Amino acid sequence: MINVLIVVSGALFNNFGLSIIALTIIVRGITMPLTLKQTRSTKALQELQPKMSELQQKFGKDKQKLAQEQMRLYKESGVNPAGCLLPMLVQLPVWIALFQSIIRVLAVVPEDFLKLSGHLYSAWPQVFSLVPLNSKFLWLDLAVPDRFLMLPILVGGTMWLSQKMVTPRTGDPKQQAQSTMMLWVMPLMFAFITMQFPSGLALYWVVSNVIQIGMQYFITGGWGGLSSQAAKPAGRDKRYLTRITMAEEKVGDYTATDSDIGADVGADIAVADMAPKEGTASAKYQPGLRAMKRHPKKSKRPKRR
Amino acid sequence: MLLLAVMLLILASGLAVPSCQPAKGIPRGWSGIYVGDDALFLGSMEGKLVAIDKSTQQRLWPDVPFKQKQSSGFGCGQGDQAVAIYGTPAVATELVYITGYNGKMYAINVETGALRWVYPREDELDPIVGGPVAAGDKVYFGGSDGKLYALDAATGDELWIFEKSEGKIWGTPAVNGETLYIGSFDKKLYAVNVADGTLKWQFETEGAIVSTPLVYDDMVYFGSFDRHLYALSEADGSLRWKYQADNWFWSRPLADNGVIYAGSVDGTVHALTADKGEKVAVFDLESPVSSSPVLADGNVIVAVEAGQVYSLNVSPRQKEQLVNLEEEIYAPLATGDGVVYIHSADDTLHAMDAVSGTILWMIKLESE
Repeated sequence: MINVLIVVSGALFNNFGLSIIALTIIVRGITMPLTLKQTRSTKALQELQPKMSELQQKFGKDKQKLAQEQMRLYKESGVNPAGCLLPMLVQLPVWIALFQSIIRVLAVVPEDFLKLSGHLYSAWPQVFSLVPLNSKFLWLDLAVPDRFLMLPILVGGTMWLSQKMVTPRTGDPKQQAQSTMMLWVMPLMFAFITMQFPSGLALYWVVSNVIQIGMQYFITGGWGGLSSQAAKPAGRDKRYLTRITMAEEKVGDYTATDSDIGADVGADIAVADMAPKEGTASAKYQPGLRAMKRHPKKSKRPKRR
Repeated sequence: MLLLAVMLLILASGLAVPSCQPAKGIPRGWSGIYVGDDALFLGSMEGKLVAIDKSTQQRLWPDVPFKQKQSSGFGCGQGDQAVAIYGTPAVATELVYITGYNGKMYAINVETGALRWVYPREDELDPIVGGPVAAGDKVYFGGSDGKLYALDAATGDELWIFEKSEGKIWGTPAVNGETLYIGSFDKKLYAVNVADGTLKWQFETEGAIVSTPLVYDDMVYFGSFDRHLYALSEADGSLRWKYQADNWFWSRPLADNGVIYAGSVDGTVHALTADKGEKVAVFDLESPVSSSPVLADGNVIVAVEAGQVYSLNVSPRQKEQLVNLEEEIYAPLATGDGVVYIHSADDTLHAMDAVSGTILWMIKLESE
């Protein structure tokens, strides 16, 4: 990737800043399928979070039962709990490679230049002549931290925006606290780290975050947590929501047999979150469900009228 | 929470960032050694000028420290930082001259170690990597600001500044008579009149030049980052020949008996005829050559980055490993009276017999 960075820089008017931007776009483009999958999985997991909280309240003391019900919910909704983590783990080596390459190419001291010489491909003769690269880009010297602190602010700000877009609204104080921490800790940490690093790396982070914001906008159908209105699900996200809805309806349908354990759970959930679909058993017995909600401990099943 | 912990763990391991790592790479320096009649002068990696008696290996006077303020960012320790010294000191009459990465040049009394003058007197220039050259009553050096400076050797007064270079100057100038030769990051070799700093001629290559030029037999030889070794006419800078290796030429070439020896960071030393550039021999040393070789007892002594020191010759052809110091070697070698002096990357000065490779003595330069 070092040699690619150098060659791209040479092709882009010997401008290393443009090279960083171009290569970031290329790398994000290549990893886009994974990023899309990760973003969708994250969103779907967040949609399930209220249901998970209710399961924890109901089965908090019985770990085995809780695990069973959670797995059932994942299965019926089609959400993979590792779906947001695995794509990220696959992408991280690519990001780290790009990060390390930028550091090596931005050689400043003589020792770094000698180390860089060992990474140049003899099959690409032009890379030898292009080094050292022109480290000037706009107001920046890409080899040193941004002395005006604009890039650290941009890194923190774009990261905050990206996080905010995917942070769900919740009434659960515990979950709210966790979301708030995620929302602020990572951007602040990266902004601080950026102050120490060459601005070439900060440029990479800003571009990467902007791309992430754009992708999230199109996947989630809007600005997500930034918007005052709930975002309309877009594209394949509707699939997840549909399956979640079906899972909830299934466990809330009172025609279910006694052996359907999930009906006990589903009844509570259906009452808490959803209006039943027209024509379903749930709709027919809605008054009964309301009775259940008022007196959850009294009965698991509503009386048929 | 798990997701956050995983991200932080992978980020830290992948980036391997200490909490207060300087934004730039850490310059440590690799000062060469000036060999005088009775004493050796070099810069240590603690940022000090060290003067050693050749016969007793004792310090002539206390090491002279050079310091600079560290300002690497928020939350990191502020304080004095050792100055990296990359150039070889120069000595003329009663003063030893030395340049530092802190952008200053110092003149120290050879007898007492007292500071005579410093340039610039206030503030500092951009980092200086190349060493100074003392010739006549002047001393010359180049800086990362792309300028070539000429100072009065006795007083440090600025005489002239050559500003035509558009890139950093990291090499040490070479002076022959009334002309000074210096390469630059702008891919050009400049020939400058020492009297007034005017341009005599310039030659453009396709890569940056950090190699110190060699003037030999009316020709100027130097290496470039475009992987070529060039031979130009000293009179007008016209190209006589050029030769290509597999990687950069970083060190200064050496001439002996009509043969030019040039080490490359591709791990080889190329022996070429001085007049036509025809290949005489290629010695594969299996490790990058960034240290400038020396001629001792009729052989070319060269050190590689991995720590081995070799004796080479083309007539008869020979390649013999004299010693393996097992420490990296970047600093140029120096020689005098059949002894080769080596400053290794662990800041140790070695004295080696040029024929047998026996280490006669060694001194760790760090303060006790």
